[in-house]
Amino acid sequence: MSLLLEIKKLKRTGFFPAFLIGAILVACFPIINTAVRPENFINQNLPALDILMNANWQMIAMLNMFFLVIGSCIIYHTEFADHAMQKMEALPQSIGKLFINKTLILIGSIIFALIIEAASFIFCAYYWFNTDNSFLPDILKYFGYEFILLIPAALLIMIIASLCQNMWISLGIGVIGVFIATMLPTDNLILSFFPFAMPFQTLNNAIDNSWISPFLISSGIQTILFSIIEVCILKVRRNIA
Amino acid sequence: MVNMIETKNLTKIYSDFTAVSNLNLNIKKGRIYGFLGPNGAGKSTTMKMFLGLTKPTSGSFQIDGMSYPNDRMRVLRKIGSFIESPAFYGNLSGEENLDIIRKILGLPKSSVSDSLKTVGLYEHRKRLAKKYSLGMKQRLGLAGALLGHPPILILDEPTNGLDPAGIHEIRTLIRSLPHKYDCTVLVSSHLLSEIELMADDIGILNHGRLLFEGTLSELKQYAKDSGLPIDNLEDTFLAMIEEDNLKRGSKR
Ligand SMILES: Nc1ncnc2c1ncn2[C@@H]1O[C@H](COP(=O)(O)OP(=O)(O)O)[C@@H](O)[C@H]1O
Ligand SMILES: [Mg+2]
Repeated sequence: MSLLLEIKKLKRTGFFPAFLIGAILVACFPIINTAVRPENFINQNLPALDILMNANWQMIAMLNMFFLVIGSCIIYHTEFADHAMQKMEALPQSIGKLFINKTLILIGSIIFALIIEAASFIFCAYYWFNTDNSFLPDILKYFGYEFILLIPAALLIMIIASLCQNMWISLGIGVIGVFIATMLPTDNLILSFFPFAMPFQTLNNAIDNSWISPFLISSGIQTILFSIIEVCILKVRRNIA
Repeated sequence: MVNMIETKNLTKIYSDFTAVSNLNLNIKKGRIYGFLGPNGAGKSTTMKMFLGLTKPTSGSFQIDGMSYPNDRMRVLRKIGSFIESPAFYGNLSGEENLDIIRKILGLPKSSVSDSLKTVGLYEHRKRLAKKYSLGMKQRLGLAGALLGHPPILILDEPTNGLDPAGIHEIRTLIRSLPHKYDCTVLVSSHLLSEIELMADDIGILNHGRLLFEGTLSELKQYAKDSGLPIDNLEDTFLAMIEEDNLKRGSKR
């Protein structure tokens, strides 16, 4: 009900078309990447999914992060641009719930993007690699893993967007954060715990290094940590306003 | 008479600047209270405290016997408000904007068109709010405050940005609210001429301090007693502010 209200507020902002078109464009990337040099990929002695991940994930992860940054900016820009937020705060509703609903919209949209990206991987696997159907449960695991590693980044990005009344500031912080993440080496465990860097990790890399549980635990801890921080922000903001 | 809103030494200090100082207001039930003061006097700050948008530094207030933060939801359910600059979603139409507020308040669908008609925005309801003129944005804000006829209305300079005909229309509307909907109205302005035509009771604020509280005739009596000009009330107001500013100046 109140989630529906937050969705309605995004009417005519370009949020949903941006995610739809963006996700489709990103999904084209592995297909084009494989189409231009199929022999490079097919001749590798690895499972199809690992080959596709190694060849495409750094690019896809970066674009997904930009989706999150831009999406969060659009979501909060409608609230701040014409002071609508001030009216919202003077109505009998919880601002914490408003934040949760907005975050759910962003997370739902990124799930949608991940599904389209997974569909593109499935297409590549069947078209160029002669994979059997054991591929399907694996892709679910791989993308499920990516989703879990994305949650802390999504939360952090929403917190930043909710704090910056000026959209350009939150956009700038987000873009800088994503660029820092792309510069960090993915084979360094500690540096990869940076919330913006975790989504660049892949499940095959984690299996090779036995990093699965460190990353899942790190994602869980960061999710709890950012949730606590948001609760504190909501409390403090009312007191210092 | 029962007080709908009552403040006790209400004070708001921003870092080192005192915006509201030891305010004791008595806003009576079923009346229009005109909150008068020059720009920067602390009117908006006081109203923001009533809406829980900002926390008092010291002192307290009660609204219909309730207080923050414990009764926040119940208090806000009773208040229709309109603070400072118009607040709206520019990407939504006037009607869609009000529908958001309506859903949060859990009101019937018809309340939106009621409210739009009351403020004279009904024929422009489908237009995007960002395409509205300042006066129309102001009316939209007012419509949002009137939605569902709340028992308390807090209106901060509601005629800002309207043309003379619009000012007259909105003033007449506000004037009619207490007996139409049985509500209490707190309305602010920096013009005494405007408050004079709307309000039953008047509170005059300067630099965060209350200079006068009472009815219009009490104000006239007060002016006479303190040797202030009385033939034009606007002059009375200006003289009061000036005198207070002088007093403040000599204290430093
Ligand atoms: N958030 C804030 N931080 C610091 N000073 C503020 C803030 N909000 C208002 N003020 C100051 O408090 C004073 C009173 O402001 P305000 O209540 O808006 O006056 P009014 O509505 O009567 O014109 C002004 O001098 C203003 O600059
Ligand atoms: Mg003001």
